Amino acid sequence: MSTAELNDKESRAAARARKKADKIRDKHANDLPRSMQPNALVKTVTILVLVFALIYFLFPIYWAIIASTKTPSQMTSGNGLWFAVGLPDLPAAIAKNYSTLLGWTRGQFWRWVLNSLIYSGVSALIGTLVAVMAGYATAKFNFKGKNLAIGVIMGCMLMPAALLTIPQYSIFHAVHLTNTMLAIIIPCCVSPFGFFLGRVYAQTSVPNELLEAARIDGASEARIFFTIVLRILAPAMVTIFLFLFVATWNNFLLPLMMVSSDTLKPVTLGLYGMVSLATFTDRGALMMGALLGVLPVIVLFLGLQRYWQAGLAAGAVKG
Amino acid sequence: MTATTQTAKTVVAKRAAKPKASDAAKRENRTGWAFMAPFGILFALVFILPIIWAIYSSFFRQVTVGGGAYGGGELVNKFVGLQNFQYVVTSGNFWAGVGRVVIYTLVQVPIMIIGALVLAMLIDSYIVKHITAFRLSYFLPYAIPGVVASIIWVYLYNGQISPLVKMLAAIGIKVDFFADNVVLASMANITTWTFTGYNMLIFLAALQAIPHDLYEAARIDGANGFQIAMRIKLPNVRAAALLAMLLSIVGTIQLFNEPQVMAISDPSISKSYTPMMMALNTSQGTLTPGGDGPASAVAIVMALIAGVLAVVYTLVERKVNAE
Amino acid sequence: MVSHNKRLVAALAAVAAMGMGLAGCGSDTAGTDNGGSSDGGKVTITYMHRLPDSEGMTLVKDIVAKWNKEHPDIQVTATKFDGKASEMIKKLETDVKSGEAPDLAQVGYAELPEVFTKGMLQDVSQYADQYKDHYAAGPFSLAQVGGKTYGLPQDTGPLVYFYNKAEFDKLGITEVPQTESDFIEAAKKAAAAGKYIMSYQPDEAGNMISGLAGASGGWYKVDGDSWVVNTETDGSKATADFYQQLLDAKAVTTNPRWDPSFDASIKNGQLIGTVAAAWEAPLFITSSGGTGAGEWQVTQLGDWFGNAGKTGPDGGSAVAVLKSSKHPKEAMEFLDWFNTQVPDLVSQGLVPAATTEDAKTPSDWSNFFSKQDIMKEFKDANNNMGDFTYMPGFSAVVAKMNETAAKASDGSGKVADVFSEAQTTSVDTLKNLGLSVKE
Repeated sequence: MSTAELNDKESRAAARARKKADKIRDKHANDLPRSMQPNALVKTVTILVLVFALIYFLFPIYWAIIASTKTPSQMTSGNGLWFAVGLPDLPAAIAKNYSTLLGWTRGQFWRWVLNSLIYSGVSALIGTLVAVMAGYATAKFNFKGKNLAIGVIMGCMLMPAALLTIPQYSIFHAVHLTNTMLAIIIPCCVSPFGFFLGRVYAQTSVPNELLEAARIDGASEARIFFTIVLRILAPAMVTIFLFLFVATWNNFLLPLMMVSSDTLKPVTLGLYGMVSLATFTDRGALMMGALLGVLPVIVLFLGLQRYWQAGLAAGAVKG
Repeated sequence: MTATTQTAKTVVAKRAAKPKASDAAKRENRTGWAFMAPFGILFALVFILPIIWAIYSSFFRQVTVGGGAYGGGELVNKFVGLQNFQYVVTSGNFWAGVGRVVIYTLVQVPIMIIGALVLAMLIDSYIVKHITAFRLSYFLPYAIPGVVASIIWVYLYNGQISPLVKMLAAIGIKVDFFADNVVLASMANITTWTFTGYNMLIFLAALQAIPHDLYEAARIDGANGFQIAMRIKLPNVRAAALLAMLLSIVGTIQLFNEPQVMAISDPSISKSYTPMMMALNTSQGTLTPGGDGPASAVAIVMALIAGVLAVVYTLVERKVNAE
Repeated sequence: MVSHNKRLVAALAAVAAMGMGLAGCGSDTAGTDNGGSSDGGKVTITYMHRLPDSEGMTLVKDIVAKWNKEHPDIQVTATKFDGKASEMIKKLETDVKSGEAPDLAQVGYAELPEVFTKGMLQDVSQYADQYKDHYAAGPFSLAQVGGKTYGLPQDTGPLVYFYNKAEFDKLGITEVPQTESDFIEAAKKAAAAGKYIMSYQPDEAGNMISGLAGASGGWYKVDGDSWVVNTETDGSKATADFYQQLLDAKAVTTNPRWDPSFDASIKNGQLIGTVAAAWEAPLFITSSGGTGAGEWQVTQLGDWFGNAGKTGPDGGSAVAVLKSSKHPKEAMEFLDWFNTQVPDLVSQGLVPAATTEDAKTPSDWSNFFSKQDIMKEFKDANNNMGDFTYMPGFSAVVAKMNETAAKASDGSGKVADVFSEAQTTSVDTLKNLGLSVKE
């Protein structure tokens, strides 16, 4: 049995133990000792603050949902707090705006959502892997120019990425990559922040002893990385993945410059196209597009919530 | 392995003094770069080359040649030395934009971070059960694309449409979210709405990572909930807060979506309202001098200012740490 | 060492291969974008536009499909650009430099000189002359720079006056006042009743107010090889005076045109009259949400701006042939066909520049505008348009004018400032482009 395999077993056992501890802790937390039980006033204030914040964060979204069923003229009439039509007419109103949306996007709406998923998914995947590799390299190895590399990359965190779009476009043009999926994926998978997180995580959660033990066992560096390090860094990688995913999902300037074929556009570009036409008035349909476009992101966040939080914690504590 | 052994031997022969260390160092060097390479190559393509391009082009301006009222139908790059930089640093519009960004950094970022912290602490206090719904709702705005979020808020600010303004008016409060002295705050609210939940999640994660025996110990010492929050929880999320702060400042420097969308409703928001807007509009020629040269100069000067801000921030952070 | 490096390389190769696959899947659509490749006599033309292509319109791709069916030798691909005009120009500028720009692109009349100066256009005078009769003379000349033709006009935007006749009658204003003083008096009377017969639109100042001021005479003249700039003409002064009086009397709305509050002001019946560009008709109908349907009318501008009954341009576009096009002749052939598809263009909300066919007022337009043949009004306005030459870099002037106009609407500035700022910005812009200015 190699160290890696041994370690594999160990880490699985460790994970089980952690889970158990988590459960106990959760139980514990919900069952606070009496001295920590808050008095009624504190409790009321807390609830008030939390509910107020809830209203603050949700009200605009509620408004957007209502607005997504309205025609341009209904939008400016009434108080905006409720549907402009009666509930029985609602499906028709929704269908109307949905067809306006499809009309605006020339029937490509779902294709664009799919494109967005591909762009965000692939660039987040590649971006996470390369960022973790680089972070691991700078955290665990000494190599020539390391400090310079770290300095340059961190410096670029301060560079307004959007301003680099034009020169990026020229460079991608020169290598004939514009108007391809790669023109969006490549720029989106490089994130100095992703590198920074990868480095912090590798520094704090990969024990040197483990690496040494694996090396003594004769495991290659690549094997160590892909079988041991990646496993340890998994929760951290989810964090980087989601960060890159959302950043790519929300980007419109890059695709605006890089692609012109209808079949290659991401959904934000379609939405931006609606807004940027000065003569645009179908804001209800725009809201519907935005809400439908956000759905995949929400599903992703719900699905990965556990990892996402664990990863954030790992980075946040020692960050 | 043979190749490596061979090189190792030569190394041994050459540097007899510290043979082992050198061999290991060489290997480490190679491995390090091997892991670094994929990111490095992409990074060079996406950041380094464009930055070099930007620096190069900042020494040029795009002007007509060939005379005639319309020029010869061709723009050429004319080397102008530091003229573009001179234009930027003497431009009142640029510094006004920097001023807005600095105010934003000094006011909006702390409010957002403190808000996120308070929410995270309250959720972590276990005073309220079923926190998942709260946590998720706070986070939801982050998933809405920035342009769309701005559009939603522009509606909610609009006197003739917004239920918000109408309700306030009904109870006798008249607000104009687009008034000259309010518009920056209106903008800051959009940013706060979008990113508070995200920062809260970071803090929440940090809070939940605090070992619970610390609380036990505090409880035995007779500390109440508030004291625990201030003495144990707060110090433990400091690192997270500093990171969130740095990221928010970086985001603020690139402030673009909010003013750009709000300008639709308030045309007095100029094309150079923030340095980022100024750079893009310069590159598109809606500001003069236009073109890539002056635009690059705006970007570079702004990046330098950001660098200075970051250094100041780090120094302050160190000082705070030392205390 | 070797083995692990190999694996690393293999892993990287896998990532790279994934990328190649993706590139491949993009490139089949990308192949059409190489700016007019000819393949055994077959010519491919690419055309980039910013038309609305909205629901219920005849889509550009369907119009183009008709052409492609009849012309197997000249195949056209249309792409829609999903951004602002300034962003499209920026993109095309880069494309032209690398020789991969589309053959044809939509360019606003106000931007055409700028696009020429940036070196993006191809002289197609030799092909254009044969199509000259297909278009109104004014718009045709707007597709020209310095006497040479660079494309063909597509639509026009003469300024006219929209008003709600029924509301006017209710106020006792039996006909649209024709002089400045009469108009201001009527506006005050209307304002006293909570109605507004004019709107001041700060976000359209650069395009609309320049058109109004320019009705009586242009701002930019070419003298030899130099520009003579005067944005503070008598027309400008009259326009400033007109709006300033209305603003001071609070007898005008100040909602920005593209802000939802403008729509609201029509919908709630406050705004019952405004200057508008011809292409605004369908948008205006949508904005109104049916308020005053059947009561609105279109008429020519009165003599309110020292314009002596003339009108000025606001918007409108040509389609230009870009420099990198290898098939200008074929491109022009298609373009003339496309720009004369009058009913299809009308469906996109345009007032076509083509005179080959009478543009018919769509029934939903005439239903809203009192059964009026508003296309005829637009055509009259077109024929009554003053000469207004745009200078290269005009977009910077527009931006500055809008910003200044907004200050006048909240009282922190004067309308006259709009024109004085236009003067300095115009001169600066020309100088920064390396063009000579006579002062």
